[in-house]
Amino acid sequence: MKNKFSITKISSVLMTLLISIPMITLFVYLFVADTENWQHIKDTVLFEYIYNTLYVMIGVGLLTTVIGFTSAYLTSFYTFTFSKFFDYGLILPFAIPTYIIAFMYNGMFGITGNITTYILKLFDKNLSEVVFFDIQSIEGAIIVMSLVLYPYVYLVCRTYFNFESASIIEAAKTFNLSSWQVLKKVILPISRPAIIAGATLAVMEATADFGVMQYFGVNTFVTGIFKTWEGMGSIEDASKLASMLMTFLFILIILEKFQRRNKVYKSSGKDYRPIVKTQLKGRYNFLASFTCFIPFFFGFLLPFIQLSFWFFQSYEKVIDEDFIDLVLKTLQLGIVSALVITLLALLIVYNSRINKDKTSSSLTQITKLGYSIPGAVVAVGILSFFGILHKYVLDVFSIDFLISGTVIAVIFGYIVRFIAISINNFEAGFNRIPQSYDDAAKISGIGHIKTFTKVFIPLIKNSAAASFIIIFIEVVKELPLTMVLRPFDYNTLAIRALELNEQSQTIESSVPSMIIVLIGVISVLLLTKNLKKAQDAKY
Amino acid sequence: MIKKLLLSALVLTSSLIASNEVNVYSSRHYDTDKQLFKMFEKDTGIKVKVIQAKDDALIKRMESEGKNSPADVFITVDAARIQRATDKKLFQSINSEFLTSSVESKLRDVNNQWFALTKRARIIAVRKDSKLANGIKTYEELADPKYKGQIMVRSSSNVYNQSLMAAMIAHHGNDYAINWAKGVVSNMARGPKGSDRDQAKGVAAGIGSTAIMNTYYVGKLASSNESDKEVISKLNILFPKFENGGTHINISAAGVARYAKNKENAIKFIEFLLSTQAQEIFAKGNFEYPVINNAEISPLVKSWGKINDDNVTINDLGKFNKDAVKALDIAGWK
Repeated sequence: MKNKFSITKISSVLMTLLISIPMITLFVYLFVADTENWQHIKDTVLFEYIYNTLYVMIGVGLLTTVIGFTSAYLTSFYTFTFSKFFDYGLILPFAIPTYIIAFMYNGMFGITGNITTYILKLFDKNLSEVVFFDIQSIEGAIIVMSLVLYPYVYLVCRTYFNFESASIIEAAKTFNLSSWQVLKKVILPISRPAIIAGATLAVMEATADFGVMQYFGVNTFVTGIFKTWEGMGSIEDASKLASMLMTFLFILIILEKFQRRNKVYKSSGKDYRPIVKTQLKGRYNFLASFTCFIPFFFGFLLPFIQLSFWFFQSYEKVIDEDFIDLVLKTLQLGIVSALVITLLALLIVYNSRINKDKTSSSLTQITKLGYSIPGAVVAVGILSFFGILHKYVLDVFSIDFLISGTVIAVIFGYIVRFIAISINNFEAGFNRIPQSYDDAAKISGIGHIKTFTKVFIPLIKNSAAASFIIIFIEVVKELPLTMVLRPFDYNTLAIRALELNEQSQTIESSVPSMIIVLIGVISVLLLTKNLKKAQDAKY
Repeated sequence: MIKKLLLSALVLTSSLIASNEVNVYSSRHYDTDKQLFKMFEKDTGIKVKVIQAKDDALIKRMESEGKNSPADVFITVDAARIQRATDKKLFQSINSEFLTSSVESKLRDVNNQWFALTKRARIIAVRKDSKLANGIKTYEELADPKYKGQIMVRSSSNVYNQSLMAAMIAHHGNDYAINWAKGVVSNMARGPKGSDRDQAKGVAAGIGSTAIMNTYYVGKLASSNESDKEVISKLNILFPKFENGGTHINISAAGVARYAKNKENAIKFIEFLLSTQAQEIFAKGNFEYPVINNAEISPLVKSWGKINDDNVTINDLGKFNKDAVKALDIAGWK
């Protein structure tokens, strides 16, 4: 029986290894001797990179936790005005890429933003005469990014509350605790692993960000990587910086996994029950509604209004036959990649569940790093890997084939970059399934294939759907990796948005951006529907 | 699905086998270029296939592809990147009577591995009502304490700032340049951030009086929407000089890739980009300076007055770029 399933094991180990290689090629530079450039970096800017990166990590971690947890708590346990709407309204910010929200916010609240200018005119003041919060700052970067990244925390907490907490909380209520005490003494402690899992993804995405940081003038590890690579022309020292960052994040990922393993309060699997929601009245009703409205408004509605405003000014100029082609290509790429990544992640997580396989388990942790470094740096790792492949494999056998420049290369790039999200999703899904199910299946002797199709598939199909949709959105938003690895004449919406913006066609660039956001919105709505279905299916 | 992927991969690779086409890796992302590529296709029947991405990413891609690289032409911007691509032996020397006679020697490689396509100048845009700023004549002056709180400029990650600093080093040496950068930093109206366009907008809005920026961004703002046009209407465009030189210029350039499979087409293509017709499209559509003498510049750019190019060579700009980055770090230019 064990032999039969070594296929899962072998393919899983091979795939995790393949996905880890681009990261491993960067890690090599950690051990290369210090260069003169490196000495310079250490002496002048390294401290600033570390300080700012930590500041962003802590800032985004805290802010996404506060917003994500509070809104998930309110919508999970209470009904109030518009609470049904907020169920999905609160996920919508996820549809907006960080570079677009940063751009929108600077366009509104920046030193020359339209809202800033309007308010100054209204009071007949000059910018130098008023107290002004400069959005183009490290705090501004933390705020705008948290506004679109908190849905990670929100989603994980919602799922956790819905599946796990009802029985524990009901038990707590029998002790006659007030709602406040239940929140403080029960809900917060038991949901800590869920919060940290969600916040880790948000923090990793913020750490990997280049566009917003550069635009807002914040020097982080990632902007440093690019400055070293492009300015000093030293890919070695840039890779060294990247590998330092990865080492640090690797430790965080291990710690996160560790805390999750030890602290998850798993229900036995038998007594799922729906949360009985409390109806809020009076000022509590208003307060809850208002609290949920704020992230929805600032994370989605406001930037969306600004975007729509520009969209309607210019869509006739931008939408033509080529544009339709662009939309179709983007969708195609998103669907294929999301499917491939979801299936791969399922294979990897399933293997580590049933085979308790140490090798692929540790490789899995490395594959997660792809999400914490910028797309362009992942691309460097991939190109180095392809370079080795070309030189030592394909050339030797005189195979005239080039991997870079094929759609396969682009999809491989997405796998390396995004598989972490899918793996996290499946890990959470599999964690919810009690070990007793595996044992029962084993005793009944139905065999591995049947166990997989009859026992696990029904239980994790919602995780699979969620993973598919989230990856799809990520791929549609992705920019730097697609640019470098793509085939000739292959464009996506995100690339078009950048091209137009770089040519000062700010208003026109809202058209591709708008389509990206709309694709995201539709996907988010599907995601919520899927979550709802999952919830209903349980009861 | 996998079948389909393999099929598309095969189609892609088979299309890499030489035919009547030219494969271009370009780090220029302008619609003028797309327009020119279409014109070239129409004139010659040679299909132009393009991948556009950031310079260093494309350099890395060409390196990793080695002799299998499908690239025939590499177009890049900024002296340092051109130098880097040359050092990594990504270009080959070509013989073209037309190119060597049309492009003056300081705007092409000594071994004819690359040829400049356009020039862009780093200038200052000053608020019309600022008497102080309108008196600025040199780059060196920007460090003068009398301009405290006046200067707006983007971060030192930006290649055009690095290139300006490289020119400063070439003129005055490292120590002078560091002190100069320190002076500029202490004159900044706010920390360096945003794009070149944001600096112009900031100055128009009254934060500081002097924006350091590239010429073509001024042109783009002037031909954009109403609020951008209003920004430009408040500014004077001045061409500062180095004390012992001229106005700082950087270039974008093209070369034939070392392993080009369509070398003839590649040369034809570059020759086309340096024809009077193409040069005028670069100039009018993208507000860059043409590199051949008989091409006309955009009327808007012309209205700012005549430009005297600095005498620092492209090679030196490339050579000093690394030192420039370090000097900017030391000076605390974020």
